Amino acid sequence: MLLRLDFSSGVPIYQQIRNQVVVSIASGELEPGEKLPTIRALAEEAGINMMTASKAYQLLKAEGYITTGRRDGATVRIPSAGAGPEAVEGLRLRLCELRLAGMGKEAILELCGKLIDEEAPGK
Amino acid sequence: MTLFWALIAWLPALPALPIIYFMRKNECKPKKNIIVGITLPWEGQRDEAVLAFLEQYKKELKLVCWLMLAAIVPSLLIRSAGVFLTYWLLWIIALCFVFFIPYVRCNKSLRQIKDERGWRLDAEETSQVVTDLKAAAEEMRWLSPWWFLPPFLLSLLPLCFDRTFWPFWAIEAAMVPVFYLCYRYLYRRRADVVDEDSSRTKALTRIRRYNWGKCWLIVAWATGFFNAGMWLTLDHIWWCMAVILAYGLVVCITVVSIEFRVRRLQEKLTADSGRLVDEDDRWLWGILYYNPNDTRMIVNDRIGMNTTVNLARRPVQVFMGLMLALLLACPLAGVWLIGMENTPVELEITDTEITGTHYGGHWSVPLEDVAEVEVITELPRLSRVAGTGMDSALTGQFNAGGWGRVTLCIDPRTGPWLKVTAADGKIYLFGGGMESAAEESAEKLQ
Repeated sequence: MLLRLDFSSGVPIYQQIRNQVVVSIASGELEPGEKLPTIRALAEEAGINMMTASKAYQLLKAEGYITTGRRDGATVRIPSAGAGPEAVEGLRLRLCELRLAGMGKEAILELCGKLIDEEAPGK
Repeated sequence: MTLFWALIAWLPALPALPIIYFMRKNECKPKKNIIVGITLPWEGQRDEAVLAFLEQYKKELKLVCWLMLAAIVPSLLIRSAGVFLTYWLLWIIALCFVFFIPYVRCNKSLRQIKDERGWRLDAEETSQVVTDLKAAAEEMRWLSPWWFLPPFLLSLLPLCFDRTFWPFWAIEAAMVPVFYLCYRYLYRRRADVVDEDSSRTKALTRIRRYNWGKCWLIVAWATGFFNAGMWLTLDHIWWCMAVILAYGLVVCITVVSIEFRVRRLQEKLTADSGRLVDEDDRWLWGILYYNPNDTRMIVNDRIGMNTTVNLARRPVQVFMGLMLALLLACPLAGVWLIGMENTPVELEITDTEITGTHYGGHWSVPLEDVAEVEVITELPRLSRVAGTGMDSALTGQFNAGGWGRVTLCIDPRTGPWLKVTAADGKIYLFGGGMESAAEESAEKLQ
């Protein structure tokens, strides 16, 4: 899985890492039980600060996308509790933005279907 | 300065010329889609205009190589050691930079053609840092420090048994731990990503890592044997020279052959790769890494197994500035030697002592300690222990055939010389040169 960090983007680097890991888990590119690099390794690989890598992992762990062990580093998992209230609120906000951008219900549903097919083909 | 010593001086410097030539020439072959520091797509690597630029680049490299070789010839006619050293150092400095002239020219031409043909990735893609998470997750195995212990112990042998040259042996013994530290801490963890194929990235990374360790380990073992060899052959000058030559050859052949092996494997493994990574904008002229967004000071080279520095970091800028200043100041050593050559040896007798002076150094004997004074017109066979040995001046401690250890401050070209024997049996030689004051001084003393 390729992690692409854009330093000119307004999105913080830790958020970019978190988002891309989540997208990769959803698309099946990262599978449950798969190892992720340690914080130090990720920081060295991407040339970012250890604190940034740590923050991204803390976020992923809090959201239930990874587990971290003292020795093994981080491991991918799928949250068992389904979408949390934050995810539902986030989706609601995005839907509002799309409606304000002039898209109707049908167009939004079509777009969602297309994105789901792109991110997780065959699922 | 004889022709023989001039050739000896060129011996260690000369191999650098073909090595740099072939390393620069090797950059014409695509590795990780990079040719002469420019990332090109598959079709670009076979484009006629690109191939024409590469041919021109090779011709220019060859020309530079022959010019540098020809530049050695005039130095063989130089008789002054100071002038020769200045010339030699200037040649070395030129060698460090001169091959980059055709490289930068070719790099600029390729960059231009890349823009014109639309071979650039999107601006958004080129500004991104790409990391392969699966490759990064692979555990990094370091060589155990125990592998470096035997050569270190071998290096300690001379230090244990020979106290005369202990500072030299101590420095030599410290080299092995330094090599281990270089192996461990100069390597930068960065997977060699070229496309989405994680197994390819992992293979490329393993090749770099394995060869990096192998290189430092072989050099550490060679250094261990070198130190022991030097200690065993110290009294046999030709054997000693042979040990130095063998060590130089082993290190040189090891490093160069491993570097070329890594490059060959990179070329082979990425011959059919995709092109998702383009870091050209972060490499000035394809040579210098400049990335303010990268927190690292040391980074991996784009091709081969070496590492380089990130010039966007302030400490690196200061360090590299100092290194550059030091390199450019090296010829001053030659100028200093010219001054030393042209300063006559002086002999002075005061009411209290006999003093020989030369270029800031002085050697004296109190008159009350003088047991015997003699004027000699022929010098014994001399071999230097510690001091300066030049055509125009011999100063410091020497072994003299039949006399044992003597202290010299003489111009050996023309006599006579003043031989002073002190009450404690120590022998001193003063004077010499065109205006030798030895006879006059001897009369004055007697």
